Amino acid sequence: MTQVPESTVFDADIHAKATEIIGRYPEARSALLPMLHLVQSVQGYVSQEGISFCAEKLDLTDAEVSAVATFYTMYKRKPCGEHLVSVCTNTLCAAMGGDAIYKKLQDHLGENGTPLGHEETAGTPGETGSITLEHAECLAACDLAPVLQVNYEYFDNQTEQSAVELVDALRKGERPQPTRGASLTDLKSVELQLAGFFPEDEQFATDVDGPSAAEETLRGAKLAQERGWVAPAMRDEETR
Amino acid sequence: MTIAPENTETEVPEGHVKLVVDGEEVIAPEGELLIRTAERLGTVIPRFCDHPLLDPAGACRQCLVEVEMNGRPMPKPQASCTMTVADGMVVKTQKSSRVAEKAQEGVMELLLINHPLDCPICDKGGECPLQNQAMAHGRSTSRFVDTKRTFPKPISISTQVLLDRERCVLCQRCTRFSDQIAGDPFIDLLERGVHQQIGTAETADIHNSASHTSSGTPFQSYFSGNTIQICPVGALTSAAYRFRSRPFDLVSSPSVCEHCSSGCALRTDFRRGKVMRRLAGDDPDVNEEWSCDKGRFAFRYAAAKDRIRKPMVRDESGELVEASWTEALRRAADALVAARESNGAGVLTGGRLTVEDAYAYTKFARITLRSNDIDFRARPHSAEELDFLASSVVGTTPEHVSYASLEKASAVLCVAFEPEDESPIVFLRLRKAARDKGTKVFHIGQWTTSSVRKTFGELLACEPGGEAAAVDGIAEHAKDLDAALSSDDAVVLVGDRAAEVPGLFGAVTRLAERTGTRVAWVPRRAGERGALEAGAVPTLLPGGAPVSDASARATLETSWGLDSGTMPAEPGRDTAAMLAAAASGELDALVVGGVDPDDLPDPAAAREALANVGFVLSLEMRPSAVTEHADVVLPIAPVDEKTGTFLDWEGRVRPFSITLEGTGALPDCRVLDTLAVEMDADLFTQTAQAAWSDFSRSRVVSAHQGSNPDQHSRPAASTPDTPDGTVRLATWRQLIDNGSLQVEEPHLAGTARDAVLRMSAATAERHGVTRGERATISTERGALTLPVEFTDLPDDVVWAPARSPESIRSVLGAGHGASVALSGGAR
Ligand code: FES
Ligand code: FES
Repeated sequence: MTQVPESTVFDADIHAKATEIIGRYPEARSALLPMLHLVQSVQGYVSQEGISFCAEKLDLTDAEVSAVATFYTMYKRKPCGEHLVSVCTNTLCAAMGGDAIYKKLQDHLGENGTPLGHEETAGTPGETGSITLEHAECLAACDLAPVLQVNYEYFDNQTEQSAVELVDALRKGERPQPTRGASLTDLKSVELQLAGFFPEDEQFATDVDGPSAAEETLRGAKLAQERGWVAPAMRDEETR
Repeated sequence: MTIAPENTETEVPEGHVKLVVDGEEVIAPEGELLIRTAERLGTVIPRFCDHPLLDPAGACRQCLVEVEMNGRPMPKPQASCTMTVADGMVVKTQKSSRVAEKAQEGVMELLLINHPLDCPICDKGGECPLQNQAMAHGRSTSRFVDTKRTFPKPISISTQVLLDRERCVLCQRCTRFSDQIAGDPFIDLLERGVHQQIGTAETADIHNSASHTSSGTPFQSYFSGNTIQICPVGALTSAAYRFRSRPFDLVSSPSVCEHCSSGCALRTDFRRGKVMRRLAGDDPDVNEEWSCDKGRFAFRYAAAKDRIRKPMVRDESGELVEASWTEALRRAADALVAARESNGAGVLTGGRLTVEDAYAYTKFARITLRSNDIDFRARPHSAEELDFLASSVVGTTPEHVSYASLEKASAVLCVAFEPEDESPIVFLRLRKAARDKGTKVFHIGQWTTSSVRKTFGELLACEPGGEAAAVDGIAEHAKDLDAALSSDDAVVLVGDRAAEVPGLFGAVTRLAERTGTRVAWVPRRAGERGALEAGAVPTLLPGGAPVSDASARATLETSWGLDSGTMPAEPGRDTAAMLAAAASGELDALVVGGVDPDDLPDPAAAREALANVGFVLSLEMRPSAVTEHADVVLPIAPVDEKTGTFLDWEGRVRPFSITLEGTGALPDCRVLDTLAVEMDADLFTQTAQAAWSDFSRSRVVSAHQGSNPDQHSRPAASTPDTPDGTVRLATWRQLIDNGSLQVEEPHLAGTARDAVLRMSAATAERHGVTRGERATISTERGALTLPVEFTDLPDDVVWAPARSPESIRSVLGAGHGASVALSGGAR
């Protein structure tokens, strides 16, 4: 077995957390996805050290880890800002104004007339108020379109103006309350949660336990109930 | 649906099914892939990702066919490379189904969308499955009118392997080979969607950030060249061959690898008298379709600028000068006759000869020099080893132990043998056996090497030099291994490093007798097994009969046409003894084949012997430490320029014929034959064919084979205590190092494993070595400083590669099992 070389990036706590993650699975390599979130929680992106760290912990090669890290869009390969702003530009949101919001934010956050590109950062990565912008595929909130997320927390029913106000607030170091779900923290803290480590305070628990369905989400179900509509029963195996 | 058996016209044997392919009824073994069933019927379904030696993947979708099960057509065409046969299945390939044909055309069109039209400058053009299948199964025109996706080209994924990503069709043969066959998953599929591409951790690192410290691992594998060969498009190319030639300008000649004892079938491609490349040949019994990178790429030594092409003699001023064959042979003959009549001459053949050449040396020593002073072992060797070779190795054939028996074995034990470094195809077979058939592979060695890991093996760690005791201890300390070895199909593989461990051959012999397991010897060099058979050892005659056996000598005298009683009866000296005798004047001359003094047990003593002995005749290809001291140098032919036969480790006959004709280079057997004539003897080895038939006719098989009473009584030596402050050295050669046949191949050299000094963290601490530093091992002879890597070695043991870059034996005068001093603090 090769030992993990002493790393200047990942401290003893991260090594311990890695061990904990690996312990959750019967096969070490199953731990790769949360492990990548773990290294991302330290550096705000998956660096080469992060890749080697995972590879050594899980007895994989750097290439195998790179394959996974480059496949999933949630793993960032360049240092990110304090916040990650994801604008849904999938079909429904796009039609409802998502494309326009994304374009607006690109122009608004860009400098010297150059719009900010996908996965580019306004401000200095890691510093307070810095924002990495991305366009995203369906965020599973089509009923509330157009939506965007900050660090994967929802801001529903957005307009160009509300989006600009939101990023301006973030740039100033403020943390506006998302439409639903937990309060805003920063990308690195959320990455730690994605790795399976949650804050223990009560506020967090109430935040995430709160209702996540909105008026719009339930509108169809309510209507069906009022009118006595039911889905046709599943046809059983007669077709076989 | 039930099939009434009485209606079945053809009997379906047990384990088989009946199906219909293109209207034809076929019986197929259960589990057979449709693509193979069709192949058996003579129908080639186009394919890219499918490879019979790789696990099915279904990655390229080129092999679509129509399938009907239980009378119902499946809704979509199916990939015939992943679907197995089933009873009552009806399959329609492109031959009988317009649907299948159209599906194949569609996939082909899709694959070609981003594929560049650079066939005229692509290495693969002319032998390209994509090109060929696009012609045979594609649409005549493409409907794609947009701009093709491009990449900066090419990227090097190692010093040897280059990747042109825009040519790739993402079949993943290369990644699957690396993962499944070689166990080196250093390349993988990166990115997603339209950006999907093959790459390494290094190429995945698009972002050179500030915190970037390591560049990721390149494609580091001894088998990387195979990915180039199985790439069905021109995406992977080799730095050595890229843009050098067109396939249709090449002439291909089947050949056999001269590097290790694996015995790989190769294909040598040449153009206008020059070898351009070598590929793995297809031999299911031996190398299947693979070769290691050394066999594939290390062939330029034969075309080296300093190749010796004319005989040379040393003039009065001490300079080697070119001479005519007549003069050189005259000088050599006179000196050797004089030596023979005085103290005698010894013969060091080296381990790289063909059987025919080795046999010529044998005859030359016995008949012309009238001596048994001949030894092929240009490496550490022992008398025990010779006894073992005589009793357990000589005369064995693949019927004893073969590649197939490794695949069938329930357990294999490797002793003093590092398969991946020393016999890479044996390694691939062990990995295959372990991965596919569940063979348990055990290794008696010092640390969890890549061979141990990649054969899913179990390490029985011991001190270097303690292997004999470890083997003797199996019955008591490794009961599971002991039981495993007692099964009929178990095999023990012993490497040539065993000669460096006193008592090890005895221990292995005892183990074999106790458990009934079969033992095979896997030497590192291609010529060793054949030289043994040819009698190029001091104690054995061709065929393996002992020199001391009067009736065997008499038989040989008859077949060689010698007067009765003229064969020397006394066993001769081994390599070390010959060199000692030459140094002290007890021998007057040495005849030396391809020997590098740095490989010998004591390189300094060897150089001294070469310097002191009265006369040195060197048969060589290139200037060497031997030619430096030679009085006469006779040029000999490399494998490409001669015909011959190797015996691989199994004892399998591997004949090959000449690739480059008319170069004028002569094989050793011809040179020795002519020299013998000058000395009034006839060897009948003018050609390889003549030598082989003389050898086959004359070999005298030993009557005592298989029994070796001496061997049992040899106790396993207990390793002497290491003096205070010293550590014990474990060492062997890495596959790619500074061996003399690897010259002029910088791209190959770049893929060599790093030379590091391995030790446990505890050893390091005890000797003041800190992580990240370099450390020094030394003896009173010299010192070697290398970067340190912490490894699971036993405490107070260090491991260093034997010739990467320097020869450990030359620098330290010590080898495997020796005590050396260890110190840290070097920068
Ligand atoms: S399309 Fe935007 S959330 Fe579904
Ligand atoms: S050959 Fe069948 S999918 Fe590639």
